Amino acid sequence: MAGFGFRFAGAERVALANVDLDLAPGTCLLVLGPSGSGKSTLAMALAGLLGRDVPGTLVGSLAIGSGDRGLVFQDADRQLVMERVEDDVAFGLESRGWPLEAMRARVPDALVDVGLADRPRAVVATLSGGQRQRLALAGALAPGPALLVLDEPTANLDPAAAAAFMARLAYLKQEASTTIVVVEHRVDDTWPLADRLLVLGRDGRPLAEGRPEEVVERDGARMIDEGVWLPRRMEPAPPVSAAPILGPDGEQSSSAVLEVLGLGFAYVAGAPVLQGLDLAVRAGERIAIVGANGSGKSTLARLLVGLLPPGAGSIEIDGLAPSRRPPANRLALAGLVFQDPEVGFLATTVDEEVRLGLPRGAGTETRAARLMTALGLPLGAYGRRSPYRLSGGEQRRLSLAPALLREPRLLVLDEPTFAQDRAGVTTLVEILRARAEAGTAIVAVSHDERFVASFATRVLELRGGRLLDRGAS
Amino acid sequence: MGLSVHDDARTATRLGRTSALVKLGVAIVWLLGVVVTPDPRGSLTMGLVALAAARLLGSVPMRELLRGLAPLVVAACGIAVFTAIFAAANTASGAVLLVEVGPLVVSAAGAQAGLLVGARLLAIGAISVAFASTTSPTALVDALVQQGHVSDRFAFGALAAYGALPRLSTDLRALRDARQLRGLRADLHPRLLVALLVLAVRHAERLGVAMDARGFGQGPRSHYRPLAWSALDPLVAAGAGIVLALVLAATVS
Repeated sequence: MAGFGFRFAGAERVALANVDLDLAPGTCLLVLGPSGSGKSTLAMALAGLLGRDVPGTLVGSLAIGSGDRGLVFQDADRQLVMERVEDDVAFGLESRGWPLEAMRARVPDALVDVGLADRPRAVVATLSGGQRQRLALAGALAPGPALLVLDEPTANLDPAAAAAFMARLAYLKQEASTTIVVVEHRVDDTWPLADRLLVLGRDGRPLAEGRPEEVVERDGARMIDEGVWLPRRMEPAPPVSAAPILGPDGEQSSSAVLEVLGLGFAYVAGAPVLQGLDLAVRAGERIAIVGANGSGKSTLARLLVGLLPPGAGSIEIDGLAPSRRPPANRLALAGLVFQDPEVGFLATTVDEEVRLGLPRGAGTETRAARLMTALGLPLGAYGRRSPYRLSGGEQRRLSLAPALLREPRLLVLDEPTFAQDRAGVTTLVEILRARAEAGTAIVAVSHDERFVASFATRVLELRGGRLLDRGAS
Repeated sequence: MGLSVHDDARTATRLGRTSALVKLGVAIVWLLGVVVTPDPRGSLTMGLVALAAARLLGSVPMRELLRGLAPLVVAACGIAVFTAIFAAANTASGAVLLVEVGPLVVSAAGAQAGLLVGARLLAIGAISVAFASTTSPTALVDALVQQGHVSDRFAFGALAAYGALPRLSTDLRALRDARQLRGLRADLHPRLLVALLVLAVRHAERLGVAMDARGFGQGPRSHYRPLAWSALDPLVAAGAGIVLALVLAATVS
């Protein structure tokens, strides 16, 4: 790849420019960069999708040695096609016209490589998130690609599933000498694997390239300025300066805003998700709830804000169950921010999105305008844009607005750092801290360990349907 | 979701082994037959035969068949009653009245029209449920491509759309939650449908790119699950044709 660049059809500026790369077989390249730096564009270019499936203008040259290419995306659900595990692995082989005998020999091997050998006939929808991501890897691996490109492959996985996934990659790199390119925000898992590092800047141009340790030594400060995470041990200081933490017994701690006693819930009778769960949150507390994929974290979030009725036990906000208040008052009690901001948008403009459901009036106008300016989305500049056309970080900040405008006593966030870069996470933590200082109790469900460390005053782990104390962070 | 799980045991049954293309053809012809026959008994007979075939030749548990049919039974009864009450025949001069309570008038012809509509809906439901519960989406796509020579793009596009159905319902739930959190009614608002459509289109775009990244559409495909016609296929087709012919002969004068 020499002097490579790309501009999306209809876009004003280039997504990627002046990228020079030369990868020997069997090396692993880690690509870092803030949101909008063209990381995913580079991944698609390497997978051979640009210009063909994605309209736009290519510049420079791109030559990839003989052999196939495989691509794994962040969201496994986006790339799994078939109903059964083995059929999905075979999909890519069928597309390439492999003969039947060769496919029958290759599919089991690919499943062994990702640790799914015992479940060839399983229905894909019944697999866990981590298993589905490994199945996507098997599908990309099956044709024996010379180059494997992974675009944030572990972003949706809990730490244990992410570690299992990276272990598989390490094995492939060593045993099959596959050339691997990984695009990531979360660098800690990938770092040990990387032989080379490419850092892209906000303008889509390379900032630094070389051996990982050398790049950080030389350009670490610039990388941080651009909003790139470094591995935790190389970070100069905690990513967000530690503010005084108000522990559960801290001086400012007042009465409990949220009190949960003996909470139980089951979607299907006999298979409880939550059981005998207790939780008390005071004003100004920032609670992080961690736990494996599928442990019931999102269910708990929905219960806390009254979207689901408790199966057993009680949830009280300011001493009263939300269901015993008139609906109009209930909204001021608890707000929820969704994992994927896009899935919560209801309007076609930012302006409408913010105002939806609020009474019209000068008071609302002023408060909305002030909040949006504070969120870095002033209505003058952003009001008429479509929520779907904002960047990931902008979408996240917009998704906070409806909840924050109602000034709830309790704010619940479900995986708020989903698809956020360093700047996005830092801004989010600042906004949440300010809210907590103003007296809001905040509960965030997350498996992002860095976010949890910089956000939480108390960390709880959801396991076996209950919350276990992991102490102050 | 009410989508059936097609386990290996069910795929091994007689209807499970029958070509999905044959089953699709039978279902379409039978649906036409249901609409053509003017006798509710004809429609109901075909519906019952379809359910019996799914139970006996496809080993589909009765509970699953009934669960799939339940919402249609409610709809069919409602529409039948509605048709009977508001049929134009009720007010025709010389109509034979069966019920006359105040303004509520049902004539014999009106009741007959109601029965016919209800029976047709039930039969359509039964045939669809019998087809869906004995045919996995994978089997249908394989048959369309290998035996029906339908284009890959069309067949796999349909499969992807089918696979996206559960996602549609989770998206809808999230959007309704989002409305509820803003103090808006969580019912089906047009705005909600627009948002749902935007999400579906974005998902489809992403899936399209992902499928192309897996080599889709770059050349002739080979088949991991090769299909061949079997003796069962003409047997099922002939059997279905005989039942249809008998029903039509008995009911169409």
